[in-house]
Amino acid sequence: MEWKFRGDLPIYSQLVEQIKLGIVSGSFLPGERLASVRDMAAEAGVNPNTMQRALQELERDGMVYSQRTAGRFVTEDMRVIEHAKKQFAEEQIRGFLEAMGKLGYSRSEILTLLEEKEEQNGDT
Amino acid sequence: MLGKLIKHEFRATARTMLPAMGALAALSLLANLSIRGLTSGLSDVPVLRIVFILILVFFGIGIVAAAVMALVIMISRFYRNLLKDEGYLMFTLPVSVHSIVWSKLIVSLVWFLLTALLIFVILALTALNLSNTNLEMIIEQLPSWNDLMQMLDELGIRSQVMTFLFQWILAMVIGTLVTCLHFYASMSLGHMFTKSKILLSVVFFIGMSFLFNLMEMGYGIGVAGTADTARWDIMNGAEAMRFVSSMTWHGIIISAVQGAVLYLATVLGLKKGLNLE
Amino acid sequence: MAILECRDLSKRYGAIQALDEVNLKIEPGRVIGLLGPNGSGKTTLLKLANGLLTPTGGEILIEGQKPGNESRSIVSYLPDRPYLAEWMKVSQLLDFFEDFYDDFDRDKATEMLLRLNIDDSMRIKEMSKGTREKAQLILVMSRKAQLYLLDEPIGGVDPATRDYILDTIIRNYNPDAAVIISTHLIADVEQVLDDVIFINQGKIVLQSSVDEIREEHGMSVDQYFREVFRC
Repeated sequence: MEWKFRGDLPIYSQLVEQIKLGIVSGSFLPGERLASVRDMAAEAGVNPNTMQRALQELERDGMVYSQRTAGRFVTEDMRVIEHAKKQFAEEQIRGFLEAMGKLGYSRSEILTLLEEKEEQNGDT
Repeated sequence: MLGKLIKHEFRATARTMLPAMGALAALSLLANLSIRGLTSGLSDVPVLRIVFILILVFFGIGIVAAAVMALVIMISRFYRNLLKDEGYLMFTLPVSVHSIVWSKLIVSLVWFLLTALLIFVILALTALNLSNTNLEMIIEQLPSWNDLMQMLDELGIRSQVMTFLFQWILAMVIGTLVTCLHFYASMSLGHMFTKSKILLSVVFFIGMSFLFNLMEMGYGIGVAGTADTARWDIMNGAEAMRFVSSMTWHGIIISAVQGAVLYLATVLGLKKGLNLE
Repeated sequence: MAILECRDLSKRYGAIQALDEVNLKIEPGRVIGLLGPNGSGKTTLLKLANGLLTPTGGEILIEGQKPGNESRSIVSYLPDRPYLAEWMKVSQLLDFFEDFYDDFDRDKATEMLLRLNIDDSMRIKEMSKGTREKAQLILVMSRKAQLYLLDEPIGGVDPATRDYILDTIIRNYNPDAAVIISTHLIADVEQVLDDVIFINQGKIVLQSSVDEIREEHGMSVDQYFREVFRC
């Protein structure tokens, strides 16, 4: 997994997003055991405390859970993963609609454009 | 911790001192062979003659070089290990400045004594070789320690001779330590400043030499003033020995005082004035 | 108790005021960036913490005590220059660290050195500049110290070496300890820091957490630093 950070947001919240995306997209599999905080931090090139904070937040969201001695695992609850996936999708769509709105397209025009695009892709 | 410092100080110095001493020993062997060669028929060959003489010249230079080497190592170890970049390592060790200075003093002392001993042995053997005497015969004729003591007892000067011996060793050890400390204190004080550290070290060295000379002179005049010079002509042997012995004590004490002052200056400079670049 | 504390700490070299009444507290368990332009007093502060300099005013305390033998046994210090004797072999250096530091983990150091193809018989003078810097860092990070003081650990190294150095720091520091990394290359270290201290002309300008700066100002520490120090 590749880690990239922007300057304008706290690093821990970017870690939360990226790990979540990793889980949704299958880079981390449901039930998979995560590496130690220190190793994950080193891999991402961040401070262990920051990684710890990100994982705690993911735990609160139910994306990961920890077992006292065995370590931390990715959730096996598909509903949680699906929910997160949908959130990402909604975010993408919201951004898309916003951008199209700025270009002056109405909802129905957008739908028509999408269908046309779909047909074109089908042809090739 | 002093023991560990000494161990690592030996490690750092032995890599130069041991080969140097080995080289001098080898050179002395060659020199003695040359002496034999010169006194034999071989010296009739001009080339060999020149080679033999050259070896002897190098031998003379080598003896001086070994002594100088011990001095140079003593100075450069202090300078490079404590006052340059390596000082960052040495002065962040959990050891006291006292231990650091003592480790350097003790190791330097040992090398000076070993070098002196080596030179003494080499010169003695060379002298024997020159006089063409048989070493075994001399060893046979040497009196045993017990015989020697008995002889001194018979002369009634055993205790005086032992005192002399003790004084002589003490004076040599203290003298060597004072020499080391003279360099240490000069460098330590010189490096408290930000600029011209080496120049200032030299100035401190000369300045302290001058002061100590004054001090010795003053002390000498003071001591001499108390001596009963009128009695010098009629002193007997035992009285003369006592007089010389007491003078030697004065010398040792004045050296020890100088050493203590120099030691304090060294430690104070390193503790309070350390100014690594 | 704070692992490092400065109270009105000042240091003057002749006419130059290198540190000017610095007050600072550093808690264990954090990685702190000591950030400032060249000549701002970073190195002076770290030297004072090691007792390599004596303050001209105020005091600096390590676990409540002035720098001395006790503090030196819990502080692991990386100076900003090569400081290992060139003639020494790796094995001799390991002996040295093992002899003087009870918290030195020789096996760990040997393993890390071997991973860089540095074996026991190699001498410092046979190493390239980058390898030397790595070897120094390995020795310093192989101690289980309470306070790590790293002076410009990534100054003048190539990007690969920089990544190696930061990775080594993150993977090896004692989690109960505080790590202070002094540097002027903020963008490179920002991700590994918990807190930052901005220092300029011998004065502390700011002490804050990285997240706070990013949340409050919506910019990276590097950008914020440029804003604060814009001349």
